[in-house]
Amino acid sequence: MSTGVIHDIGYRRYEGARLGRRHAFTALVVHSLRGAFGLGRTARSKIVPFLLVIVMLLPAVVAIAVMALAQQRSIGYSNYVTLMQPVVMIFLAAQSPYLVAPDLRFRVLPLYLSRPVTVPDYVGAKVVAMIAAVLLLIATPITVTFVGELLVNMPGPPRTGEYLGALATSVIYAVLLAALSLAIASFTPRRGLGVASVIAFYLLASGVSTVLAGVFASLTDRATAGWMLLINPFFLVDAVQVWLFGSEPAAPFPYPGGAGGPVALLGVLGWVALGLLALAARYRKAASA
Amino acid sequence: MNTTVAGISYRAVIGRRRIWLLLLLPLVLIGLAVLLRLVGSADEATAGTLLSTFAIGTMLPLTGLIAGTGVIGPEIDDGTIVHLLAKPIPRPVIALTKFLVAASLLAVFAALPTYVAAWLLVRNEENIAVGFGLGALVGGIAYAAVFLLLGTLTRHAVTIGLAYALVWEGLVGGLVPGARQFSVQQWANAIADRLSGSAFVGTDVTLGFAIPALIIVTVGALLWTGQRLRSFSVTGDE
Repeated sequence: MSTGVIHDIGYRRYEGARLGRRHAFTALVVHSLRGAFGLGRTARSKIVPFLLVIVMLLPAVVAIAVMALAQQRSIGYSNYVTLMQPVVMIFLAAQSPYLVAPDLRFRVLPLYLSRPVTVPDYVGAKVVAMIAAVLLLIATPITVTFVGELLVNMPGPPRTGEYLGALATSVIYAVLLAALSLAIASFTPRRGLGVASVIAFYLLASGVSTVLAGVFASLTDRATAGWMLLINPFFLVDAVQVWLFGSEPAAPFPYPGGAGGPVALLGVLGWVALGLLALAARYRKAASA
Repeated sequence: MNTTVAGISYRAVIGRRRIWLLLLLPLVLIGLAVLLRLVGSADEATAGTLLSTFAIGTMLPLTGLIAGTGVIGPEIDDGTIVHLLAKPIPRPVIALTKFLVAASLLAVFAALPTYVAAWLLVRNEENIAVGFGLGALVGGIAYAAVFLLLGTLTRHAVTIGLAYALVWEGLVGGLVPGARQFSVQQWANAIADRLSGSAFVGTDVTLGFAIPALIIVTVGALLWTGQRLRSFSVTGDE
């Protein structure tokens, strides 16, 4: 016979407003975006992202100084990102595992899913946050240089067209790099290994592309050399920029002409789709586990 | 050298699917060598470019980073290192064992593929294959010691090691000649340059500087790692 008694120990119901799925999504985006720059984390986690942002801004500062003192335009807007490739790669490698790895490693995904957030919401929020982080990293120095150019009042018209083209291209860069990096990072729950996997992908792509393009160029097959450049995701986006906005190519060899531009755009779309599909597959598995 | 510790470390780096990351880079290198052979541009100049930019410049630091930090990083990250440190094994022995594991992995996954790729391209011409193989081996040993030390010093070892390899050795080393004197990659290139008689392999670091530097860095990093493990405290982070 049971003598159990249920005591009322004063738990209270939540009677405030239920903010719902959209609010949860926004909160997750903001939290992840802040985390990508180390905000809301320990002081040590702020060092790397802030250092990288400063390094990204250095050429912009130099460009403004050269414009102000020597009245010369040094760094273009269209080739800023390809110039700073290693820095962008390190940012992607260092920060994208932070967005996805800890939740997978500590198996807290079910906690998120016990809220109105669904799996596509969660993945979408992470991708949106990473896109915004990359966009901030690469569009800020370009914009700073442009504002500098306007303030310095250089002779001749400002390069507004090139600036706007570069800004639109940064969106393409951000979407492509964020989707790929998050997809690669999500396959390794350990952060160190995630960093290594992401950088391995970008270094392999750029290394293979440089070697093959160099070899075909030395065989005087410049058309094939141009195609080989497109293996590197950074030059792939640059080729799209050259095709869409008519900017100067940033690569050591000309990109393939004719079908090259549309194929490069298809390549970008293909990579993004592949990244998103991989993320979807990864999280379908993680959510059920 | 403690075989149990070595076994655990090997499993941490190449256990389960993790081996694919270490296999990927050498496979791409050998694939490139085969491809270059097929398109008929397997000469000394191509071999020099491929081996010094891709094998020594990209593959070696990256595998060094994966193996060097991989033997100790995950254990520190999830705190299981305390179980290892609580055992009556001298800490410097643990450091030495982990270093030997990392160095042996680099010999298999970096130095050997470099030799094979060079051999595929130019056979034994001008000792290029031997030179680069040995350069990669010695450079790999130094990288193993340095990145193992980095793994015990900070939890962001992979990122910092990456910044060293990409920014210091790549970006700064490409622009400032003086920075090349203090770069493991260039020391490895110096050995490859001296051993091979080819004119296409170049470096501006002398062997008289590179060899003492490699020895000092490797032994110094190893001693520091042992010392660091002796006074290791496990603290939470994030």
